[in-house]
Amino acid sequence: MENKRQSMFEFFRGFAAIAIAILVAFILILICADDPGKAMECLLVRPIFSNGAINLKSILTIFARMTPTIFTGLAVCVMFSANQFNLGGEGAVMLGGFVAALIAIYIPLGAGVHILVAILAGTIIGGLVMIVPAVIKVRLKASEMVCSLMMNYVIMYVVLHFLNNVFADRSKGATQSYPFMSSAVIPKMISNTELSWGFAIAIIATVTVAFFMYRTRWGYAIRMIGINESFSKYSGMKVGGMIVLSQVIGGMLSGMGGAIEVLGRDNTFLWLNLPGYGWTGITVAILAKNNPIMIPFAALFISYLNRGCELMSIYAGVPSEMIDIIQAVIFLFFAAEHFLAGTRQKIVVKDAKEELQKKEVAAAGEGGNK
Amino acid sequence: MFEQLINMVFSASFGYSIIRITSPILFAALAAVVAEKGGVVNIGLEGIMMISALFGVLFSYWTNSWIPGVIGAVVIGVLVAMIMAVFALKLKTDIILAGIAVNLLGGGGTAFLLYLFTGLKGNTASMTTPNMLTPKVHIPLLKDIPVIGQIFSGHSVLTYLAFLLVFLVWILLYKTAMGLRIRAVGENSNAADSVGVSVLKTKYIALGISGALAGLGGAYMSMYYSQSWNIGIVAGRGFIALAAQAMGQGEPVGAMLSSLLFGFASALGNKMEGMQGFSSYLVASIPYLVTILGLVVYAMSTKKKIKRFRENAK
Repeated sequence: MENKRQSMFEFFRGFAAIAIAILVAFILILICADDPGKAMECLLVRPIFSNGAINLKSILTIFARMTPTIFTGLAVCVMFSANQFNLGGEGAVMLGGFVAALIAIYIPLGAGVHILVAILAGTIIGGLVMIVPAVIKVRLKASEMVCSLMMNYVIMYVVLHFLNNVFADRSKGATQSYPFMSSAVIPKMISNTELSWGFAIAIIATVTVAFFMYRTRWGYAIRMIGINESFSKYSGMKVGGMIVLSQVIGGMLSGMGGAIEVLGRDNTFLWLNLPGYGWTGITVAILAKNNPIMIPFAALFISYLNRGCELMSIYAGVPSEMIDIIQAVIFLFFAAEHFLAGTRQKIVVKDAKEELQKKEVAAAGEGGNK
Repeated sequence: MFEQLINMVFSASFGYSIIRITSPILFAALAAVVAEKGGVVNIGLEGIMMISALFGVLFSYWTNSWIPGVIGAVVIGVLVAMIMAVFALKLKTDIILAGIAVNLLGGGGTAFLLYLFTGLKGNTASMTTPNMLTPKVHIPLLKDIPVIGQIFSGHSVLTYLAFLLVFLVWILLYKTAMGLRIRAVGENSNAADSVGVSVLKTKYIALGISGALAGLGGAYMSMYYSQSWNIGIVAGRGFIALAAQAMGQGEPVGAMLSSLLFGFASALGNKMEGMQGFSSYLVASIPYLVTILGLVVYAMSTKKKIKRFRENAK
């Protein structure tokens, strides 16, 4: 039975996992920074406060950087809920972004429509590619994990081929596409910041996915399959179809995230490698315990740490890759069901005892009345 | 163009490069085989290879000799696998998530560790000395035979070790008590438990062996193949190894054959890159496509087998 004390404990456990990760970060900083105090200040405080004042620009940057990971986090959330370990988010993000970019460059459309069509195209292509691992899984029982991992690389090389050999803007020094038409660039929420209206779309997507997962039949079926596939099958759910659906939705969300990131951040396609948002999405989903509503908060946390690490590498000379170590540690402890299991056991036993006592008291009371 | 391609495929140097490219994947595929036989999915191979590759270079740099480097890479591989095992088996982190965490460590964490230990950023090319690289072995007699000598002689010590390990892993799995325990735990852990096999201990051992093998793969990458460590050194080979394991039906020899298939596709890609009319990017995607196709073909054949089996049973 879930009660207050146990949910408090769950909260504390998550907190402990994060605390351990921060502790590891501190130890690493102590070893490698010239000025550990300054490095820690950069990591924890500077993303919000700098030079004694609230740094609004930095805060908005944190929000802006959340956008793609909210999408990939939601995608992972839907797929993992159905117990589908599809790790193709990386590829879907890159492909979605690329297709959206092509539409933004080459197909002239009206002002509002252009953005919509470009994002929609990225979304659809993301969903389409995920059909491959999903159908292979359902029809042939081959691992969707291995297949989607391989697909990431195939997508990356195909995109790079088209970017380099067909769509490259040769007048630039670096490999990039031609600039987007202004009608396809997602406008900024606040000018001169990184924060675009894509962030608002991400929040809308969060609410939509939460509604889908907890208030619709399909969402229920997806969650049920994740909890007990055989039960779902024998109670008459179309398990195969739902497995495909969950992965296609995951692909669509990733593709949308890629499209919005590309159209909202720069005005040309610049990715020469898998962007990494797919993997961060997994961390975000783990932190949110696969609950869509919690995804933006988890994304905010990761984004904050990311910004902290970035500042740390600029001002304190600690390599920004430290974020990966922090993420890995959080990841391991957060997902560890038996982390602090002893304490949990004690709480459960205590609860049970108290309940027994209450019952005994009640029973004694009843007995006295008779 | 195709004539040129065919001439190339039938050249001795092509055979040589297949073996060279196959070796690291073979190490990792064997690692996947042992883990899978013990009933654990080791998706952290990619990360373990990255970390071991880095420490292989570091250890050999500190001692100015390749042997401590290789040993160090193996030890670190086992260590990382043990960390995974503690989380997965004791603290009940999902093994796939534990693997992903190890891959995160391998991705950016290694770059951080490199900076921590040496102050270098991104790669170790400036550290490399000839003493740090695993030596090439020229096999007497064999090396003098035309064609065959050119293909099979002159590889790294580790390459020969990789192919020898196919045999050793087979012996381990099928001819030793430990192997029997590993297979029993993987097949049905409850049954194994009921006859007194310690399931946890066996899984720890399987993961440990898996880590050691992946560590060798990492050492091969940084101490022979690329001659130094860099951030993109493993490039999905750990994942490909998982595919090779699945394609090879989880058996050492099968995994070797699928690794060779991948090596072939990769070598072909490398050679085609230099030719006119092929996009180097599309060619680079061939090995991954081949892996997906291989998975599909294998899955289809298993499905047919099951169907036939069921029909016969009727």
